[in-house]
Amino acid sequence: MTTIRRFCCDDLLRFASVNLDHLTETFNMSFYMTYLARWPDYFHVAESPGNRIMGYIMGKVEGQGESWHGHVTAVTVAPEYRRQKLAKKLMNLLEEISDKMDKAYFVDLFVRASNMPAIKMYEKLGYVVYRRVLRYYSGEEDGLDMRKALSRDVEKKSIIPLKRAITPDELEYD
Amino acid sequence: MMGLFNCYVREYSYVKQQQTAIKMYKMVGEERFLLWAVCSIQLQVLLSNGGEKLLSLAEALLKKHINSHSLHEPEALAIYISILEQQSKYEAALEVLSGNLGSLIGREEDKLRMQGRLLARACNYAAAAEIFQKVLESCPDDWDSFLNYLGCLLEDNTNCFKASTASHTCLPSSVDSQVPKETHLSEELFDSRLSSALSVVEKLQKDGHDDCVRGPYLATIEIERRRHLNGNADDGKFLEALLIYFQRFNHLSCFASDVEMFLQMLTQDEKSELREKFLNILEALPTTPIKRIGQVITIFKVQELSGAMFMESVKELEGTAIKMLEMFCENLPLSRDLDPQENMYGEELLSMASSVLVTLFWRTRNLGYLLEAVLVLEFGLIIRRYIWQYKIPLLHIYSFVGALPLAHDWYGTLEVKNILQETMSHHILPQMLKSPFCSEAADLVKEYLKFMDDHLREAADLTFLAYRHRNYSKVIEFVQFKERLQHSNQYMMARIESVFLQLKQKADSLEEIQAIFQSVNYGMKLLELSNEDKLTSLTFNEDLQTRPWWSPTTNKNFLSEPFEDGSACSRATMLSKKKTTEDEDTKKKEIERKSLIPRLLYLSMQAASSTVKENSEPNGTASDTNVAAELKILLERYARNIGLTLDEAISVILGILEGQKSFKELSSDSISWMNFAVFVNALNLSSKKPLLPIEDKSNPTSWHIVDRLTKTCVMYHLSHSEPILTSPGNQLTVLVQLVTESFSWQILIIQSCMKSLLPIGKRKKKSGGGSGLMDQPNLPKLQAVQSSIRSLMDTIKEIQTRVADQINGSEDNDLDTLLSYVQRDDNGPGRIFRILEENVVANNPDLGERISDSLKSWSSGDVLRRVVRAQRKYLTEFNQICDSKVKLLGTLRQSA
Repeated sequence: MTTIRRFCCDDLLRFASVNLDHLTETFNMSFYMTYLARWPDYFHVAESPGNRIMGYIMGKVEGQGESWHGHVTAVTVAPEYRRQKLAKKLMNLLEEISDKMDKAYFVDLFVRASNMPAIKMYEKLGYVVYRRVLRYYSGEEDGLDMRKALSRDVEKKSIIPLKRAITPDELEYD
Repeated sequence: MMGLFNCYVREYSYVKQQQTAIKMYKMVGEERFLLWAVCSIQLQVLLSNGGEKLLSLAEALLKKHINSHSLHEPEALAIYISILEQQSKYEAALEVLSGNLGSLIGREEDKLRMQGRLLARACNYAAAAEIFQKVLESCPDDWDSFLNYLGCLLEDNTNCFKASTASHTCLPSSVDSQVPKETHLSEELFDSRLSSALSVVEKLQKDGHDDCVRGPYLATIEIERRRHLNGNADDGKFLEALLIYFQRFNHLSCFASDVEMFLQMLTQDEKSELREKFLNILEALPTTPIKRIGQVITIFKVQELSGAMFMESVKELEGTAIKMLEMFCENLPLSRDLDPQENMYGEELLSMASSVLVTLFWRTRNLGYLLEAVLVLEFGLIIRRYIWQYKIPLLHIYSFVGALPLAHDWYGTLEVKNILQETMSHHILPQMLKSPFCSEAADLVKEYLKFMDDHLREAADLTFLAYRHRNYSKVIEFVQFKERLQHSNQYMMARIESVFLQLKQKADSLEEIQAIFQSVNYGMKLLELSNEDKLTSLTFNEDLQTRPWWSPTTNKNFLSEPFEDGSACSRATMLSKKKTTEDEDTKKKEIERKSLIPRLLYLSMQAASSTVKENSEPNGTASDTNVAAELKILLERYARNIGLTLDEAISVILGILEGQKSFKELSSDSISWMNFAVFVNALNLSSKKPLLPIEDKSNPTSWHIVDRLTKTCVMYHLSHSEPILTSPGNQLTVLVQLVTESFSWQILIIQSCMKSLLPIGKRKKKSGGGSGLMDQPNLPKLQAVQSSIRSLMDTIKEIQTRVADQINGSEDNDLDTLLSYVQRDDNGPGRIFRILEENVVANNPDLGERISDSLKSWSSGDVLRRVVRAQRKYLTEFNQICDSKVKLLGTLRQSA
């Protein structure tokens, strides 16, 4: 049982057990608050009956024309609540908002090329590798840009893989 | 005008914001400017006691706009609803929601939740329950909606009030482990309502196709809990519901925390019965090795939650710890193909084993168990170094055994940064502040203050960003959050401590101390920090749930207290789950007391330097006549802070000297008392009406009183101070604080006094032979100061001798001593050590290369050697501080 609701500032004071995980980045305050100020519908938290934070997702919606898309900036689940499809629920929520409320064409995300467990999970959720971004992570590790088409992209054009890898400066968005 | 509005946002001038927004709205008629004005009104109501009448103004403005232009933004609608809700106009809000404007809410479930809440708050329970039922049908795992649904059926809307009062707040709602509000329903009606809830929940269970949906099953337990709490005959349904839940979700890591609040309701016998039944269920269940390990962990956790650790015999507990460790080792091959980033199967076994070993230490006081607890956690970290659930208990054990540098290192690996500093720094900062590692502590404080100051500086710009993006609910939330952080008790404490640390670090130089005083307006800045309003509005944002059970708050450590069977468990549980008011009050007192010290020190130094001067030099900050008066007022406040009047506090000091009281009996800590005595002496020097016995032949001078008190205090603590190596939780911290704080203040007062006693020429160059001072009328005072210098030197040397004794021996000898606690064949600790030392698992061919390689570098001896080194580093650092104080006092003695 999970209460999924919009993330609020007070949750920043309660998400330590999720963020202590070494793969979860604790961003600076303006980063979180810019997301909250601009895309509050894309920032959700899952809470357990004992009021513990189980995990959260943060994202945004951006782009022009057929590049109008939802973006997953971070999705993370506390160790205690893993292996019970919570990340899937959070991702589905963000996809639903991108699809139904904002009428986006696709949802995308970046993942470290070495992070096989995450890549496998995203593939299970219907994401495909759209392109490789060379040295995306701190100029060292490649990132994979993964996408999932939404209902507005009837022909699924947005997810046809690019044949070549790109460099970070070729990225359309941050 | 937008620029002007932004300026007022930066200034948090809500009235001016409102006026500017209204002007903009009148000029261009845009919806967003009206909403800016409405937000400004909300802020006045919520944060500036703006009066609730303003809400009706906001409502009228919105209504008028809606009539002519309608609303176009979901957030505008949310604010409108919240304005109505805050005035308890629930029907009106519902009407708005069910009208055309309701379509602005993008997700149907969100609209239903809002409707349900409004209906419940309007006490229209039947309709509210129906709405929440609809939500559950589409989101069966939505626990908050289930609680609202159940509450409405039972005609209790507490949960709906606990949940967001307006869209901008999002207080979490929870199952209240206490007895819910007594129902006014008849027994029959109550039962029938619960039965209908049960059938709804059972239907949800039946319709569910997802194995991970736990909500409807936990809901059954909650329904039975309500029945149970209402005093209805217990037909075993409550336990049955728990068993069904176990049957389905026994292998999940969160099983124990899911049912924790329910287990708390059971008697000890019921808990044992339940555990037996859980075991029976497991025996009958077909399972996989991975599920099996999850199930075993669940059983251990339930056992832990039931308080079994405090009931079982030492032998049983030893057996449990060994079983946990062995099981972890046996199951390591399951994790061989996992990515190093992934959690290993059975990771929790090691943190649970170390927890059992800590309990064994608490019960037996045998250090060996505590060392084994360390070894178990270090063993886990050598296999996978990312596990914060190992690092946190480990750093607390290291702090407890005096190996603070290791605790500090492990804290560093947690990479606590940004907002986590507010919630997590309590794990290390309090220990560091009391340690001789002032420079490391100062770095932690500096980094934390930088984060807080940066955020407080940029918070207004972020609020304006929310205004610009028309996310009005976030405007209110951001301002409230800024207030919360600004009033953080840690923030206030850190600001005080940063001054404290500077004073401690520069205490040997009068000039540098003066510069520090100047930078904080001679202590006035800190006094302003701790005024009553600020203390009342303090916030406590520390995440205490991450602390080990044996140290649930920064002021509490059960291991320093004797073990009390049974009751200890519930006490630990209670404290770890809830920050007690008592703990918060202690912190408030501590903040107030500390905030007084820099000003007290400054005034004391002034008082000391003016004792011999008939006509003092003009002083822009505090005239000499005022010094004594202000000093007295502040000392009265200080005494009040420790629960006494000034006279009472002074008689306590005299009582100690006369042997009528001991430091053990004092309600406050020794450092507070010593600081008090030091400052009272300074007041005595300048006051026309001395507070301490006046100087005559039959009475000692106040200098002598402080000297004797210092000696008594140090002797008391030395007599209770066992070697750091073998005595965890020893008194060394108190001695460190005495030297770095109280004695430093005393030396500064001595220096100030001497500066004014000595003629200028003598200050520059000490002449040999007879002292010109002998002709001075200040001779008795000088003699008292000289005697005080000697006494303090002797006292610090006593401490130093004790410290030096502990580092003079060889590191290897110390290591052998520690090893002797764990290398034993008789009863007691030793078996865990042997399992780890033999490290048989490292040679298991099924482990895979990565785990095997990491295990090959394991050595228990290395871990214990690091403990010894860290303790010696602590002692060496302290010894050096003592040394510098002794040298300074030596120089002062020579110049006197």
